[in-house]
Amino acid sequence: MIRTICTTASLWIALAGGALAHPHIFVDTEIEVIFDDQARATGLRITWVYDDLFSMILVEDRGLDPDFDGALTAAETATLQGFDMQWDPGYPGDTYALSGDTPLPLSGPADWTAGYAEGRLTSTHLRRFAEPVGMDQTLVVQVYDPSFYTAYSLLPAVRLTGVEGCSAQVFEPDHEAADARLQAAIEELAGSDDVEGAFPAIGSAYAEEVRITCVAPS
Amino acid sequence: MRRPFLIVGLVVALGLTALWLSGGFDQMQGWLLDQQRAVQSRLAGAVRALRGGQPGALAGLLAVCFAYGVLHAAGPGHGKLLIVGYGMAQRVRLLPLAGISLLASLAQAAVAVALVGAGVLVLGWTRERLVGVSEEVIAPVGTAAIALVGLWLMLRGLLALRAAGQGAGHHDHAYHDHADDARCGHAHGPTLAEMAQVTSWRDAAVLIAGIALRPCTGALFLLILCFGLGIGAVGVAGTFTMGLGTACVTIAVAALAVWAREGVFASLPGAGLGSRMATAIPMLQALAGAAIAGAAVLLLGHPL
Repeated sequence: MIRTICTTASLWIALAGGALAHPHIFVDTEIEVIFDDQARATGLRITWVYDDLFSMILVEDRGLDPDFDGALTAAETATLQGFDMQWDPGYPGDTYALSGDTPLPLSGPADWTAGYAEGRLTSTHLRRFAEPVGMDQTLVVQVYDPSFYTAYSLLPAVRLTGVEGCSAQVFEPDHEAADARLQAAIEELAGSDDVEGAFPAIGSAYAEEVRITCVAPS
Repeated sequence: MRRPFLIVGLVVALGLTALWLSGGFDQMQGWLLDQQRAVQSRLAGAVRALRGGQPGALAGLLAVCFAYGVLHAAGPGHGKLLIVGYGMAQRVRLLPLAGISLLASLAQAAVAVALVGAGVLVLGWTRERLVGVSEEVIAPVGTAAIALVGLWLMLRGLLALRAAGQGAGHHDHAYHDHADDARCGHAHGPTLAEMAQVTSWRDAAVLIAGIALRPCTGALFLLILCFGLGIGAVGVAGTFTMGLGTACVTIAVAALAVWAREGVFASLPGAGLGSRMATAIPMLQALAGAAIAGAAVLLLGHPL
Protein backbone atom coordinates (compact mmCIF):
# COMPACT_ATOMS: atom_id res chain seq x y z
CA MET A 1 0.00 0.00 0.00
CA ILE A 2 2.88 2.34 0.84
CA ARG A 3 4.21 1.53 -2.61
CA THR A 4 0.95 2.45 -4.30
CA ILE A 5 0.85 5.69 -2.37
CA CYS A 6 4.43 6.55 -3.32
CA THR A 7 3.93 5.74 -6.99
CA THR A 8 0.72 7.70 -7.27
CA ALA A 9 2.19 10.60 -5.35
CA SER A 10 5.30 10.76 -7.53
CA LEU A 11 3.14 10.77 -10.64
CA TRP A 12 1.18 13.65 -9.19
CA ILE A 13 4.37 15.54 -8.41
CA ALA A 14 5.66 14.88 -11.91
CA LEU A 15 2.51 16.43 -13.33
CA ALA A 16 2.74 19.48 -11.11
CA GLY A 17 6.53 19.81 -11.27
CA GLY A 18 6.73 20.17 -15.02
CA ALA A 19 4.95 23.46 -15.02
CA LEU A 20 5.70 24.73 -11.52
CA ALA A 21 8.16 27.27 -12.79
CA HIS A 22 7.08 30.18 -14.87
CA PRO A 23 9.35 32.81 -16.36
CA HIS A 24 9.57 36.42 -15.23
CA ILE A 25 12.05 37.73 -17.75
CA PHE A 26 11.51 37.36 -21.47
CA VAL A 27 14.47 37.68 -23.82
CA ASP A 28 14.41 37.65 -27.60
CA THR A 29 17.64 36.08 -28.75
CA GLU A 30 19.43 36.46 -32.04
CA ILE A 31 22.32 34.21 -32.98
CA GLU A 32 25.13 35.01 -35.35
CA VAL A 33 27.64 32.26 -36.19
CA ILE A 34 31.04 33.53 -37.26
CA PHE A 35 33.17 31.38 -39.58
CA ASP A 36 36.85 31.49 -40.52
CA ASP A 37 38.24 31.29 -44.06
CA GLN A 38 38.17 27.48 -43.94
CA ALA A 39 34.41 27.52 -43.28
CA ARG A 40 34.91 26.46 -39.65
CA ALA A 41 32.80 28.08 -36.96
CA THR A 42 34.91 30.15 -34.58
CA GLY A 43 32.37 31.81 -32.35
CA LEU A 44 28.86 33.07 -31.67
CA ARG A 45 27.62 36.62 -31.32
CA ILE A 46 24.56 36.56 -29.14
CA THR A 47 22.05 39.40 -29.05
CA TRP A 48 19.63 39.66 -26.14
CA VAL A 49 16.61 41.96 -26.35
CA TYR A 50 14.95 42.26 -22.94
CA ASP A 51 11.19 42.65 -22.45
CA ASP A 52 9.66 46.08 -21.74
CA LEU A 53 9.10 45.57 -18.03
CA PHE A 54 12.50 44.17 -17.16
CA SER A 55 14.15 46.85 -19.34
CA MET A 56 12.21 49.51 -17.47
CA ILE A 57 13.29 48.07 -14.10
CA LEU A 58 16.96 47.90 -15.09
CA VAL A 59 16.94 51.42 -16.51
CA GLU A 60 15.09 52.83 -13.50
CA ASP A 61 17.47 50.94 -11.20
CA ARG A 62 20.37 52.86 -12.71
CA GLY A 63 18.61 56.20 -12.57
CA LEU A 64 18.68 56.46 -16.36
CA ASP A 65 16.01 57.85 -18.69
CA PRO A 66 14.54 60.18 -16.02
CA ASP A 67 12.24 61.82 -18.58
CA PHE A 68 10.84 58.36 -19.35
CA ASP A 69 10.77 58.80 -23.11
CA GLY A 70 12.27 55.36 -23.81
CA ALA A 71 15.53 56.79 -25.18
CA LEU A 72 18.92 57.47 -23.64
CA THR A 73 21.56 60.12 -24.24
CA ALA A 74 24.97 59.05 -25.54
CA ALA A 75 26.46 59.53 -22.07
CA GLU A 76 23.71 57.41 -20.51
CA THR A 77 24.23 54.68 -23.10
CA ALA A 78 27.94 54.69 -22.25
CA THR A 79 27.21 53.92 -18.58
CA LEU A 80 25.05 51.01 -19.68
CA GLN A 81 27.86 49.04 -21.34
CA GLY A 82 28.40 45.62 -19.80
CA PHE A 83 25.30 45.88 -17.57
CA ASP A 84 24.51 42.16 -17.99
CA MET A 85 28.05 40.88 -18.44
CA GLN A 86 29.13 40.54 -14.80
CA TRP A 87 28.72 36.78 -14.79
CA ASP A 88 29.18 34.62 -11.72
CA PRO A 89 32.00 32.08 -12.15
CA GLY A 90 30.61 28.95 -13.75
CA TYR A 91 27.54 30.66 -15.20
CA PRO A 92 27.18 29.12 -18.67
CA GLY A 93 25.50 32.20 -20.10
CA ASP A 94 22.30 30.34 -20.99
CA THR A 95 23.87 29.49 -24.35
CA TYR A 96 24.94 25.95 -25.20
CA ALA A 97 26.59 24.72 -28.37
CA LEU A 98 26.98 21.18 -29.68
CA SER A 99 28.66 19.67 -32.70
CA GLY A 100 26.42 16.71 -33.40
CA ASP A 101 25.99 15.34 -29.87
CA THR A 102 29.31 16.67 -28.50
CA PRO A 103 29.06 19.74 -26.27
CA LEU A 104 31.41 22.53 -27.29
CA PRO A 105 33.03 24.66 -24.58
CA LEU A 106 32.47 28.39 -25.02
CA SER A 107 34.67 31.24 -23.82
CA GLY A 108 33.41 33.87 -21.42
CA PRO A 109 31.66 36.89 -22.94
CA ALA A 110 33.77 39.35 -24.90
CA ASP A 111 33.34 42.46 -27.07
CA TRP A 112 30.03 43.35 -25.51
CA THR A 113 27.71 46.18 -26.47
CA ALA A 114 24.51 47.56 -24.96
CA GLY A 115 21.77 49.84 -26.20
CA TYR A 116 18.28 51.04 -25.40
CA ALA A 117 15.60 51.72 -27.98
CA GLU A 118 11.83 51.95 -27.85
CA GLY A 119 11.91 51.12 -24.15
CA ARG A 120 13.82 47.87 -24.61
CA LEU A 121 17.37 47.08 -23.56
CA THR A 122 19.56 45.23 -26.03
CA SER A 123 22.95 43.72 -25.41
CA THR A 124 25.29 41.66 -27.53
CA HIS A 125 28.36 39.62 -26.66
CA LEU A 126 30.77 37.25 -28.34
CA ARG A 127 31.46 33.68 -27.20
CA ARG A 128 34.39 31.94 -28.86
CA PHE A 129 34.77 28.22 -29.39
CA ALA A 130 37.90 26.71 -27.79
CA GLU A 131 39.02 25.72 -31.30
CA PRO A 132 37.46 26.18 -34.75
CA VAL A 133 34.60 23.76 -35.30
CA GLY A 134 34.44 21.82 -38.54
CA MET A 135 31.02 21.67 -40.10
CA ASP A 136 30.99 17.97 -41.01
CA GLN A 137 28.36 17.59 -38.31
CA THR A 138 25.35 19.74 -37.56
CA LEU A 139 26.18 22.67 -35.28
CA VAL A 140 23.46 23.08 -32.67
CA VAL A 141 23.01 26.21 -30.55
CA GLN A 142 20.52 26.07 -27.69
CA VAL A 143 19.37 29.00 -25.58
CA TYR A 144 17.74 28.28 -22.25
CA ASP A 145 17.80 29.03 -18.55
CA PRO A 146 17.77 25.66 -16.73
CA SER A 147 15.57 27.13 -13.99
CA PHE A 148 13.23 28.72 -16.56
CA TYR A 149 13.34 32.02 -14.67
CA THR A 150 14.18 33.65 -17.96
CA ALA A 151 12.38 32.57 -21.11
CA TYR A 152 14.57 32.87 -24.19
CA SER A 153 12.99 32.80 -27.59
CA LEU A 154 15.07 32.61 -30.73
CA LEU A 155 14.46 35.13 -33.45
CA PRO A 156 14.14 33.30 -36.78
CA ALA A 157 16.81 35.47 -38.40
CA VAL A 158 20.05 33.55 -37.77
CA ARG A 159 23.10 35.17 -39.32
CA LEU A 160 25.90 33.06 -40.78
CA THR A 161 28.88 35.33 -41.30
CA GLY A 162 31.80 34.47 -43.54
CA VAL A 163 30.52 31.26 -45.06
CA GLU A 164 28.52 30.09 -48.04
CA GLY A 165 26.50 26.96 -48.61
CA CYS A 166 25.30 26.70 -45.01
CA SER A 167 21.80 27.07 -43.73
CA ALA A 168 20.22 27.57 -40.32
CA GLN A 169 16.87 26.52 -39.02
CA VAL A 170 15.22 27.37 -35.72
CA PHE A 171 13.40 24.56 -33.92
CA GLU A 172 10.73 24.88 -31.28
CA PRO A 173 10.96 22.55 -28.28
CA ASP A 174 9.32 19.16 -28.53
CA HIS A 175 7.03 19.36 -25.51
CA GLU A 176 6.01 15.73 -25.65
CA ALA A 177 9.61 14.50 -25.59
CA ALA A 178 10.47 17.05 -22.91
CA ASP A 179 7.59 15.90 -20.70
CA ALA A 180 8.71 12.30 -21.12
CA ARG A 181 12.22 13.26 -20.05
CA LEU A 182 10.89 15.10 -17.04
CA GLN A 183 8.82 12.07 -16.09
CA ALA A 184 11.89 9.83 -16.33
CA ALA A 185 13.94 12.25 -14.23
CA ILE A 186 11.25 12.40 -11.56
CA GLU A 187 10.96 8.62 -11.40
CA GLU A 188 14.69 8.32 -10.99
CA LEU A 189 14.54 10.90 -8.23
CA ALA A 190 11.70 9.10 -6.49
CA GLY A 191 13.55 5.77 -6.62
CA SER A 192 16.73 7.06 -5.03
CA ASP A 193 17.41 8.25 -1.51
CA ASP A 194 19.09 11.34 -2.85
CA VAL A 195 16.00 13.50 -2.80
CA GLU A 196 18.17 16.38 -1.58
CA GLY A 197 19.50 16.68 -5.11
CA ALA A 198 18.48 19.74 -7.06
CA PHE A 199 15.48 19.84 -9.33
CA PRO A 200 16.37 17.80 -12.42
CA ALA A 201 17.98 20.01 -15.02
CA ILE A 202 15.34 19.44 -17.64
CA GLY A 203 15.54 22.98 -19.01
CA SER A 204 17.44 21.86 -22.09
CA ALA A 205 14.55 19.65 -23.16
CA TYR A 206 12.35 22.73 -23.35
CA ALA A 207 14.99 24.80 -25.16
CA GLU A 208 14.61 26.39 -28.51
CA GLU A 209 17.53 25.60 -30.72
CA VAL A 210 19.06 26.55 -34.01
CA ARG A 211 20.64 23.87 -36.21
CA ILE A 212 23.24 24.89 -38.75
CA THR A 213 24.17 22.50 -41.51
CA CYS A 214 26.62 22.94 -44.35
CA VAL A 215 26.77 21.15 -47.64
CA ALA A 216 30.06 19.26 -47.89
CA PRO A 217 32.25 20.82 -50.60
CA SER A 218 32.29 18.48 -53.58
CA MET B 1 -29.90 14.24 -7.69
CA ARG B 2 -27.03 14.90 -5.34
CA ARG B 3 -25.01 11.78 -6.04
CA PRO B 4 -24.91 12.05 -9.86
CA PHE B 5 -23.91 15.68 -9.54
CA LEU B 6 -20.99 14.77 -7.28
CA ILE B 7 -19.87 11.96 -9.56
CA VAL B 8 -19.80 14.43 -12.46
CA GLY B 9 -17.22 16.37 -10.42
CA LEU B 10 -15.01 13.31 -10.26
CA VAL B 11 -15.45 12.71 -13.98
CA VAL B 12 -14.52 16.32 -14.79
CA ALA B 13 -11.39 16.09 -12.63
CA LEU B 14 -10.38 12.73 -14.14
CA GLY B 15 -11.06 14.10 -17.62
CA LEU B 16 -8.80 17.10 -17.01
CA THR B 17 -6.09 14.80 -15.65
CA ALA B 18 -6.36 12.52 -18.68
CA LEU B 19 -6.18 15.51 -21.01
CA TRP B 20 -3.07 16.67 -19.17
CA LEU B 21 -1.43 13.23 -19.32
CA SER B 22 -2.09 12.96 -23.04
CA GLY B 23 -0.37 16.28 -23.66
CA GLY B 24 -3.58 18.16 -24.34
CA PHE B 25 -2.31 21.09 -22.29
CA ASP B 26 0.94 21.47 -24.22
CA GLN B 27 -0.57 23.90 -26.61
CA MET B 28 -2.18 25.74 -23.73
CA GLN B 29 1.23 25.99 -22.08
CA GLY B 30 2.67 27.71 -25.13
CA TRP B 31 -0.36 29.98 -25.31
CA LEU B 32 -0.02 30.80 -21.63
CA LEU B 33 3.64 31.72 -22.10
CA ASP B 34 2.72 34.09 -24.93
CA GLN B 35 0.00 35.64 -22.79
CA GLN B 36 2.32 36.05 -19.80
CA ARG B 37 4.79 37.75 -22.05
CA ALA B 38 2.14 40.03 -23.53
CA VAL B 39 0.73 41.02 -20.15
CA GLN B 40 4.25 41.79 -18.89
CA SER B 41 4.68 44.15 -21.83
CA ARG B 42 1.29 45.76 -21.16
CA LEU B 43 2.28 46.24 -17.52
CA ALA B 44 5.31 48.24 -18.63
CA GLY B 45 3.08 50.24 -20.97
CA ALA B 46 0.63 50.93 -18.13
CA VAL B 47 3.40 52.19 -15.83
CA ARG B 48 4.66 54.41 -18.62
CA ALA B 49 1.14 55.78 -19.23
CA LEU B 50 0.75 56.48 -15.52
CA ARG B 51 4.04 58.34 -15.37
CA GLY B 52 3.01 60.30 -18.42
CA GLY B 53 -0.13 61.39 -16.57
CA GLN B 54 -2.53 59.91 -19.10
CA PRO B 55 -6.17 59.91 -17.98
CA GLY B 56 -7.47 56.51 -16.89
CA ALA B 57 -3.93 55.21 -16.54
CA LEU B 58 -4.45 53.97 -12.97
CA ALA B 59 -7.55 51.96 -13.90
CA GLY B 60 -5.63 50.58 -16.87
CA LEU B 61 -2.73 49.54 -14.67
CA LEU B 62 -5.01 47.80 -12.17
CA ALA B 63 -6.78 45.95 -14.98
CA VAL B 64 -3.43 44.73 -16.30
CA CYS B 65 -2.41 43.70 -12.77
CA PHE B 66 -5.58 41.65 -12.39
CA ALA B 67 -4.92 39.92 -15.71
CA TYR B 68 -1.31 39.34 -14.65
CA GLY B 69 -2.52 37.62 -11.46
CA VAL B 70 -4.96 35.39 -13.35
CA LEU B 71 -2.41 34.42 -16.02
CA HIS B 72 0.39 33.66 -13.61
CA ALA B 73 -1.96 31.57 -11.49
CA ALA B 74 -3.41 29.75 -14.51
CA GLY B 75 -0.41 27.44 -14.81
CA PRO B 76 0.05 24.87 -12.06
CA GLY B 77 1.81 26.30 -9.04
CA HIS B 78 2.51 25.65 -5.40
CA GLY B 79 -0.66 27.40 -4.20
CA LYS B 80 -2.99 25.32 -6.32
CA LEU B 81 -1.11 22.14 -5.44
CA LEU B 82 -1.62 22.88 -1.76
CA ILE B 83 -5.28 23.81 -2.14
CA VAL B 84 -6.05 20.73 -4.27
CA GLY B 85 -4.01 18.47 -2.01
CA TYR B 86 -5.63 19.75 1.12
CA GLY B 87 -9.08 19.78 -0.49
CA MET B 88 -8.66 16.13 -1.47
CA ALA B 89 -7.12 15.12 1.83
CA GLN B 90 -9.46 16.79 4.26
CA ARG B 91 -13.22 16.77 4.09
CA VAL B 92 -13.14 20.53 4.30
CA ARG B 93 -16.23 22.32 3.02
CA LEU B 94 -16.01 24.60 -0.03
CA LEU B 95 -16.53 27.90 1.76
CA PRO B 96 -13.64 27.57 4.23
CA LEU B 97 -11.34 26.27 1.48
CA ALA B 98 -12.30 29.16 -0.82
CA GLY B 99 -11.71 31.53 2.10
CA ILE B 100 -8.25 30.07 2.64
CA SER B 101 -7.53 30.52 -1.09
CA LEU B 102 -8.54 34.18 -1.00
CA LEU B 103 -6.69 34.95 2.23
CA ALA B 104 -3.57 33.15 1.02
CA SER B 105 -3.48 35.16 -2.23
CA LEU B 106 -3.93 38.45 -0.37
CA ALA B 107 -1.34 37.40 2.23
CA GLN B 108 1.07 36.62 -0.60
CA ALA B 109 0.59 40.17 -1.87
CA ALA B 110 1.07 41.52 1.67
CA VAL B 111 4.35 39.61 2.04
CA ALA B 112 5.61 41.14 -1.22
CA VAL B 113 4.60 44.64 -0.08
CA ALA B 114 6.19 44.16 3.36
CA LEU B 115 9.40 42.80 1.83
CA VAL B 116 9.83 45.57 -0.73
CA GLY B 117 8.60 48.24 1.70
CA ALA B 118 11.09 47.23 4.36
CA GLY B 119 13.86 46.46 1.89
CA VAL B 120 13.68 49.61 -0.22
CA LEU B 121 12.40 52.22 2.23
CA VAL B 122 14.07 51.10 5.47
CA LEU B 123 17.08 48.97 4.60
CA GLY B 124 18.03 50.50 1.27
CA TRP B 125 18.40 47.16 -0.48
CA THR B 126 19.03 46.82 -4.19
CA ARG B 127 16.71 44.89 -6.48
CA GLU B 128 19.13 41.94 -6.63
CA ARG B 129 19.33 41.84 -2.84
CA LEU B 130 15.54 41.94 -2.51
CA VAL B 131 14.90 39.15 -4.99
CA GLY B 132 17.73 37.19 -3.36
CA VAL B 133 16.21 37.52 0.12
CA SER B 134 12.82 36.54 -1.26
CA GLU B 135 14.15 33.40 -2.90
CA GLU B 136 16.82 32.33 -0.45
CA VAL B 137 15.29 33.28 2.91
CA ILE B 138 11.54 33.67 2.66
CA ALA B 139 10.66 31.01 0.08
CA PRO B 140 12.46 28.17 1.97
CA VAL B 141 10.39 28.98 5.07
CA GLY B 142 7.27 28.73 2.89
CA THR B 143 8.54 25.46 1.44
CA ALA B 144 9.06 24.11 4.96
CA ALA B 145 5.46 25.04 5.78
CA ILE B 146 4.30 23.21 2.63
CA ALA B 147 6.31 20.11 3.59
CA LEU B 148 4.85 20.30 7.09
CA VAL B 149 1.28 20.32 5.72
CA GLY B 150 2.12 17.34 3.49
CA LEU B 151 3.78 15.25 6.19
CA TRP B 152 1.04 16.06 8.68
CA LEU B 153 -1.69 14.99 6.25
CA MET B 154 0.22 11.83 5.36
CA LEU B 155 0.71 10.94 9.02
CA ARG B 156 -2.96 11.52 9.78
CA GLY B 157 -3.95 9.39 6.80
CA LEU B 158 -1.62 6.52 7.66
CA LEU B 159 -2.68 6.49 11.32
CA ALA B 160 -6.33 6.47 10.32
CA LEU B 161 -5.68 3.68 7.81
CA ARG B 162 -4.10 1.61 10.54
CA ALA B 163 -6.97 2.35 12.88
CA ALA B 164 -9.45 1.36 10.18
CA GLY B 165 -7.51 -1.84 9.49
CA GLN B 166 -7.60 -2.85 13.14
CA GLY B 167 -11.25 -1.96 13.42
CA ALA B 168 -12.06 -4.33 10.56
CA GLY B 169 -10.11 -7.10 12.28
CA HIS B 170 -7.32 -7.58 9.78
CA HIS B 171 -3.73 -6.45 9.58
CA ASP B 172 -2.20 -4.71 6.70
CA HIS B 173 1.17 -6.22 5.81
CA ALA B 174 2.80 -2.83 5.61
CA TYR B 175 2.31 -2.30 9.32
CA HIS B 176 3.58 -5.59 10.73
CA ASP B 177 6.94 -4.02 11.43
CA HIS B 178 5.34 -1.61 13.76
CA ALA B 179 3.33 -4.11 15.75
CA ASP B 180 4.91 -2.87 18.97
CA ASP B 181 3.39 0.53 18.86
CA ALA B 182 0.14 -0.58 17.29
CA ARG B 183 -1.60 0.03 20.58
CA CYS B 184 -1.18 3.71 20.08
CA GLY B 185 -3.10 3.55 16.82
CA HIS B 186 -6.54 3.98 18.24
CA ALA B 187 -5.58 6.97 20.30
CA HIS B 188 -3.85 8.81 17.49
CA GLY B 189 -6.04 7.95 14.53
CA PRO B 190 -8.66 10.62 14.05
CA THR B 191 -12.20 9.36 13.78
CA LEU B 192 -14.35 9.84 10.70
CA ALA B 193 -16.33 12.48 12.53
CA GLU B 194 -13.18 14.36 13.41
CA MET B 195 -12.01 14.29 9.82
CA ALA B 196 -15.31 15.58 8.54
CA GLN B 197 -15.07 18.58 10.79
CA VAL B 198 -14.33 21.97 9.42
CA THR B 199 -10.60 22.47 9.20
CA SER B 200 -8.92 23.84 12.28
CA TRP B 201 -7.47 27.32 12.30
CA ARG B 202 -4.01 25.81 12.72
CA ASP B 203 -4.30 23.95 9.39
CA ALA B 204 -5.55 27.11 7.74
CA ALA B 205 -2.70 29.21 9.15
CA VAL B 206 0.00 26.79 7.96
CA LEU B 207 -1.66 26.49 4.53
CA ILE B 208 -1.83 30.27 4.14
CA ALA B 209 1.79 30.62 5.29
CA GLY B 210 2.91 27.95 2.83
CA ILE B 211 1.28 29.82 -0.03
CA ALA B 212 2.01 33.39 1.06
CA LEU B 213 5.70 32.93 1.89
CA ARG B 214 6.63 32.67 -1.75
CA PRO B 215 6.15 36.18 -3.10
CA CYS B 216 5.52 36.34 -6.82
CA THR B 217 8.54 37.82 -8.57
CA GLY B 218 6.21 39.77 -10.84
CA ALA B 219 4.76 41.57 -7.83
CA LEU B 220 8.26 42.29 -6.52
CA PHE B 221 9.20 43.75 -9.92
CA LEU B 222 6.14 45.99 -9.97
CA LEU B 223 6.72 47.18 -6.39
CA ILE B 224 10.43 47.88 -6.90
CA LEU B 225 9.65 49.79 -10.07
CA CYS B 226 6.85 51.83 -8.48
CA PHE B 227 8.80 52.63 -5.30
CA GLY B 228 11.71 53.69 -7.49
CA LEU B 229 9.46 55.97 -9.51
CA GLY B 230 7.91 57.49 -6.40
CA ILE B 231 4.47 55.96 -6.99
CA GLY B 232 4.68 53.32 -4.25
CA ALA B 233 0.97 53.47 -3.42
CA VAL B 234 0.13 52.50 -7.00
CA GLY B 235 2.48 49.54 -6.71
CA VAL B 236 0.80 48.39 -3.51
CA ALA B 237 -2.67 48.69 -5.09
CA GLY B 238 -1.43 46.84 -8.16
CA THR B 239 0.07 44.05 -6.07
CA PHE B 240 -3.14 43.42 -4.15
CA THR B 241 -5.05 43.50 -7.45
CA MET B 242 -2.68 40.82 -8.74
CA GLY B 243 -3.53 38.86 -5.58
CA LEU B 244 -7.25 39.11 -6.36
CA GLY B 245 -6.58 37.81 -9.87
CA THR B 246 -4.63 34.89 -8.44
CA ALA B 247 -7.41 34.21 -5.91
CA CYS B 248 -9.98 33.82 -8.71
CA VAL B 249 -8.02 30.90 -10.09
CA THR B 250 -7.26 29.24 -6.74
CA ILE B 251 -10.91 29.53 -5.65
CA ALA B 252 -11.99 27.82 -8.87
CA VAL B 253 -9.41 25.12 -8.21
CA ALA B 254 -10.67 24.75 -4.63
CA ALA B 255 -14.21 24.25 -5.93
CA LEU B 256 -13.04 21.57 -8.36
CA ALA B 257 -11.09 19.80 -5.62
CA VAL B 258 -14.12 19.67 -3.29
CA TRP B 259 -16.41 18.61 -6.12
CA ALA B 260 -14.05 15.82 -7.24
CA ARG B 261 -13.43 14.60 -3.68
CA GLU B 262 -17.13 14.33 -2.93
CA GLY B 263 -17.43 12.57 -6.28
CA VAL B 264 -14.93 9.95 -5.10
CA PHE B 265 -16.96 9.31 -1.98
CA ALA B 266 -20.29 9.35 -3.80
CA SER B 267 -19.05 6.82 -6.35
CA LEU B 268 -18.04 4.28 -3.70
CA PRO B 269 -20.57 1.50 -3.45
CA GLY B 270 -22.16 1.49 -0.05
CA ALA B 271 -21.01 4.98 0.67
CA GLY B 272 -22.24 6.15 4.02
CA LEU B 273 -22.12 2.67 5.49
CA GLY B 274 -18.72 3.59 6.75
CA SER B 275 -16.48 0.65 5.94
CA ARG B 276 -15.27 1.79 2.52
CA MET B 277 -15.32 5.41 3.51
CA ALA B 278 -13.17 4.51 6.49
CA THR B 279 -10.44 3.33 4.12
CA ALA B 280 -11.00 5.75 1.25
CA ILE B 281 -10.73 8.93 3.27
CA PRO B 282 -7.40 8.21 4.98
CA MET B 283 -6.06 6.68 1.76
CA LEU B 284 -6.83 9.88 -0.13
CA GLN B 285 -5.37 11.86 2.73
CA ALA B 286 -2.08 9.92 2.82
CA LEU B 287 -1.80 10.19 -0.99
CA ALA B 288 -2.39 13.91 -1.08
CA GLY B 289 -0.05 14.42 1.87
CA ALA B 290 2.75 12.44 0.19
CA ALA B 291 2.27 14.41 -3.03
CA ILE B 292 2.44 17.75 -1.21
CA ALA B 293 5.53 16.74 0.79
CA GLY B 294 7.23 15.46 -2.36
CA ALA B 295 6.46 18.65 -4.23
CA ALA B 296 7.94 20.65 -1.35
CA VAL B 297 11.20 18.72 -1.77
CA LEU B 298 11.21 19.61 -5.46
CA LEU B 299 10.53 23.26 -4.65
CA LEU B 300 13.74 23.51 -2.61
CA GLY B 301 16.23 25.51 -4.56
CA HIS B 302 13.75 26.00 -7.35
CA PRO B 303 12.51 29.59 -7.41
CA LEU B 304 9.15 30.39 -8.87
